[in-house]
Amino acid sequence: MARYGMALDYKNCINCKACEVACKEENGVELGAEKHRIWVGGNNPDGQWPLLDIASAAFMPSQCQHCEDAPCQEVCPTNATYYDENHVVRVDSDKCILCSYCMNACPYDARYVDDRTMTVDKCTFCSDTRLARGETTTACQNTCPTKVRTFGDLDDPNSEISELLRTRDHFSLKAHLGTNPKLFYLT
Amino acid sequence: MKIGPLNIPIKEDFSLKSILDFERTPINMLLAVSVLAMLAMLLLGVGNYLIHSHHAYNVTREHPWGLMIAVYIFFVVSSTGFCIVGSLGDVFGFKDFTMISKRAIFGSIVTIMAGFTVIAFEIGHPVTMLIYNVLTPGLTSAIWWMGTLYGLYLTFMIIEFYFLLNNDMKKAKIFGLTGLLVGLAAHSNLGSVFGFLNARTISQGVYYPTYFILTAFITGIFLSFIVMGFRYKLNFDDKTKKLLEGLAKIQGLLISILIFFMTWKLLTDMYGGMPNRAEVAHHIIHSTPFYAEVILAMIIPLLVILKDFGKSPVLMFWASLSGMVGIFFMRYNLVHDTQVKPLQMMKTNEYQLPPEWIEYFPSATEIMISLGGLGLCIALYYVGTKAFDLDESH
Repeated sequence: MARYGMALDYKNCINCKACEVACKEENGVELGAEKHRIWVGGNNPDGQWPLLDIASAAFMPSQCQHCEDAPCQEVCPTNATYYDENHVVRVDSDKCILCSYCMNACPYDARYVDDRTMTVDKCTFCSDTRLARGETTTACQNTCPTKVRTFGDLDDPNSEISELLRTRDHFSLKAHLGTNPKLFYLT
Repeated sequence: MKIGPLNIPIKEDFSLKSILDFERTPINMLLAVSVLAMLAMLLLGVGNYLIHSHHAYNVTREHPWGLMIAVYIFFVVSSTGFCIVGSLGDVFGFKDFTMISKRAIFGSIVTIMAGFTVIAFEIGHPVTMLIYNVLTPGLTSAIWWMGTLYGLYLTFMIIEFYFLLNNDMKKAKIFGLTGLLVGLAAHSNLGSVFGFLNARTISQGVYYPTYFILTAFITGIFLSFIVMGFRYKLNFDDKTKKLLEGLAKIQGLLISILIFFMTWKLLTDMYGGMPNRAEVAHHIIHSTPFYAEVILAMIIPLLVILKDFGKSPVLMFWASLSGMVGIFFMRYNLVHDTQVKPLQMMKTNEYQLPPEWIEYFPSATEIMISLGGLGLCIALYYVGTKAFDLDESH
């Protein structure tokens, strides 16, 4: 049993999108703009050419935050969304009725409809693929050329992620909503 | 009256022939053709949905709830409204309102059945829902409570209607009161489906769970004018005029309260320029459907009521038709406005291109199934008027 989380050294992101490709490949995510489990967000630099504020532009890789208090889990009428033994937020496609309430309740826009099963799908931290094979990294982490992502057990004080969170300042997205995300952005 | 199966009193002449037998006036013929066309659209829409699944709908990742959710809400609000109006007489004992009780309770049954029909084709897996709603209930989910309570509510309404038909007013009162309480709880939970959306600040909060009850009562009164208007072909007798005058006065009060509620809701949404909420509120008040809602459901009926304090039932019939169109926009706006603001996960380069507001327009299939629900509702009600005596029993 573990309590998996992910730390993102997002300032290292170069927007190569290798993580998006690796995620789709590893987990068999459908093609198409709407069908994405993870993404690299970004904003344009402030100001007008040539007076651009380069420091204001940033890439922000993101995905399901695997919240400790996940709104998507609370609103699910059939408990199709559940926490697995590793505290990963998962969807049981046999129970999903596609009411789409979780898609509206998720503050992170992290859910989409898988057209093959016609149920809601999301990031699983590669639980069905890499973790099931005994590996200890996610596809997005493994492929990242600038080592943005660090995946690991938050309950293990000796894990790399625990060490990072102890030694680096970090923040969570939309923390004011009380969702207690397990994705941490390192500053 | 003849006694049908399960001891249900049915009109003596009820048959397929009696259903087809109606006065062939131009308006009746137009209505009949419209209802048939809407039923045909239901079949077409459902057929298209069965072939193409949710791809037949214009819902997206960012706007997962569309027209059919709005239409479902429209029907269940109508049902709760009918139930409240029906309860005035047979549960609370207001004598003037007893004459509409049976008709309103029957109306509450057919409207919720139309709503269930529409939602059955919106929910991706309705059969799975029936199974896992029971096996693994999500007790923290407003949708679970809403769906379960509405199922119970429909059962109580059918039992109440049965006792009303059999003139057993004591039992009708017991089941009517239980049904009303369960229905109000269900309806409030429907409001909380939106009220619990912490991610959508424009909808989050206590407003919708309470506002839904208020608008249900308003909808019930609009519908009462419409069904009574058809029943009496706008030639109301004195007793009906008294009933409708009373309802119109209540309606005047309710619409005034609604305007009061909405004004403060929008002002508090805009005040202080709170991110997400204020800009959505500004967006709403600059959208055409918002004015359709305000003018058709509030201003026109309120002006008609204020003209002579509800003493013009014929005018109120027409104002109620306008009101129901406005109520439709009210439901559509509620669903759309909740989702209109992107969740701002900085997906600006790939997935969320400008404009910054999420756009949605229903597909032909969504429109056909929604209109089909209306056709089904009118058809069921019409058959009910032919099968049952919906007038007050003496």
